[in-house]
Amino acid sequence: MNVFITGASGGLGRAIAAECASRGYKLFLTDINEEGLHSLQTGLERQYGACVTTRACDITKDESVDEMLALIDASGIRFDMLFNIAGIDYEGSFLERECRSVVKIVSLNVEATLRITHAILSRRRENGAFSLVFVSSLASLYPMPLKATYAASKRFLTDFAEALRQELKSKNVKVLTLCPGGLPTTEEAISGIAAQGFWGSVTTNRLEQVAFETVEKVQKRAGLYIPGAANRTLSFLGKFLPRSVIAAIIYKRWSGAQEKWLCTESK
Amino acid sequence: MKTVVITGATSGIGLATARKFVGKGYNVIGIGHSETNCDRAKEKILSDYPEAKIIYFVANLMQLSEVKRVADELEKYITANCNGEIYALINNVGGVRSWYQTTAEGYEQQFALNHLASFMLTYRLLPYIEMALGRVIMTCSNSHKGIKMHWEDIMLKDGYNPLTAYKQSKLCNILFAEALNERYSNNGIRAYAVDPGLVNTDIGNKQTGGVVNLIWSLRKKHGVLPEIPAETYVHLCEQKTAPKGLYYYLCRERKFSREVTEENANRLFDLSEKLCGIKYRDLVVEL
Repeated sequence: MNVFITGASGGLGRAIAAECASRGYKLFLTDINEEGLHSLQTGLERQYGACVTTRACDITKDESVDEMLALIDASGIRFDMLFNIAGIDYEGSFLERECRSVVKIVSLNVEATLRITHAILSRRRENGAFSLVFVSSLASLYPMPLKATYAASKRFLTDFAEALRQELKSKNVKVLTLCPGGLPTTEEAISGIAAQGFWGSVTTNRLEQVAFETVEKVQKRAGLYIPGAANRTLSFLGKFLPRSVIAAIIYKRWSGAQEKWLCTESK
Repeated sequence: MKTVVITGATSGIGLATARKFVGKGYNVIGIGHSETNCDRAKEKILSDYPEAKIIYFVANLMQLSEVKRVADELEKYITANCNGEIYALINNVGGVRSWYQTTAEGYEQQFALNHLASFMLTYRLLPYIEMALGRVIMTCSNSHKGIKMHWEDIMLKDGYNPLTAYKQSKLCNILFAEALNERYSNNGIRAYAVDPGLVNTDIGNKQTGGVVNLIWSLRKKHGVLPEIPAETYVHLCEQKTAPKGLYYYLCRERKFSREVTEENANRLFDLSEKLCGIKYRDLVVEL
């Protein structure tokens, strides 16, 4: 099983990579952080004796991706699985953010994901099944004030994945969209979860469990995977409310939590 | 003047221990993970002991790359300022994580910080400890009892629980001390594990959340001051002939878990060498 992972040296990337390595899959890992990739490769080789290839790449740049693809083509690697994990978000309201950062959210979360998906699907192993994972977010299910660009970029992924799933059904490709709530991957993420209080801890998912279930599910069935009973309930209830009402509720809740969060951050 | 290296020396047990050693006239080298905390700890100690020989190095020991970097710095410093000798290395750094989180290598953070960091640092500093026929002391915990090593899933990827991860990492500490004694006690180096008891520190409130944070906030109120366990570390270093025990609580030997066997100690030692990409060498000089 040859697996391609983007954003591999981040928290979720490392967990998915470890899950795949523990199953004996061969890994091709990419991330913009070259040092992180190198450390992860070393760790996976030592822990699991895994077969790992890494290549640092800025997937928002055509040239950078082309160089990586040339390397792949030169060695003739073909893939059975793709995890689109690379993604980014910046805290703060639309106007408080630098214009460049806002645009970067779309160019990484959307454009780069399309670029990689196209490239790796074109390099799938022939005659075999292919598993394709998009890491979207619970945020993709609603319009989210104060996370407007991020939520919309993830919305793109959720809808795109659903449509692509139909296109590729007959081609033996399973498409899974992962929509997690909060993932405790970094110190920053954890302080953010803490600032949201009760709702923060209820919607937080266990990283190791999400990694296991994602790798498990994408090979069995396609569709939407929302980890956590509370998150599934929230997303179900959300279907009965008009989107404008949901946006208003989220704005109210988030503006309070963010104030608190920014306060504790500056302490 | 004898040199002591203490990790996690900016707060809690590490800080209290650093202060005790300074008071006894030792040269103290502390390691802390933020510059601010290191400066603050140094100031505190200097305000009590203006003549203190105390220096701090900054390193996030959870990451192996950081252990290597700070070890490089320590080597230079110890060669230039401490006659190339370390009399005692106190592997005290430790933490709790509410969730499964990993280091850059993809290693579970409690295992990496509470055990691998000590394993790696001891490896790097061993030549200097050997020069002083010194001692290595781990901050262990009585919670190492009642748990077995999860050999098949050491990082607890298949079922993480903060307390299980903590207990296992503390079992690792005492197994590591046992393994060091098996390898190097004939060379004049001794290793110990100290049970500090329940101590009022912030260990369960750093980088944790929700339940762990809450439980620890309630529990730590029943803990003793960190100055109490600090005595045990000083006691173990002040004895002229190295004490023969392995596990100490309030300056006295204590019974340890039945899981502390030569087999387990060697198994952990081999695994840790593999995970750190190192090989402890045999020491030449036998006593």
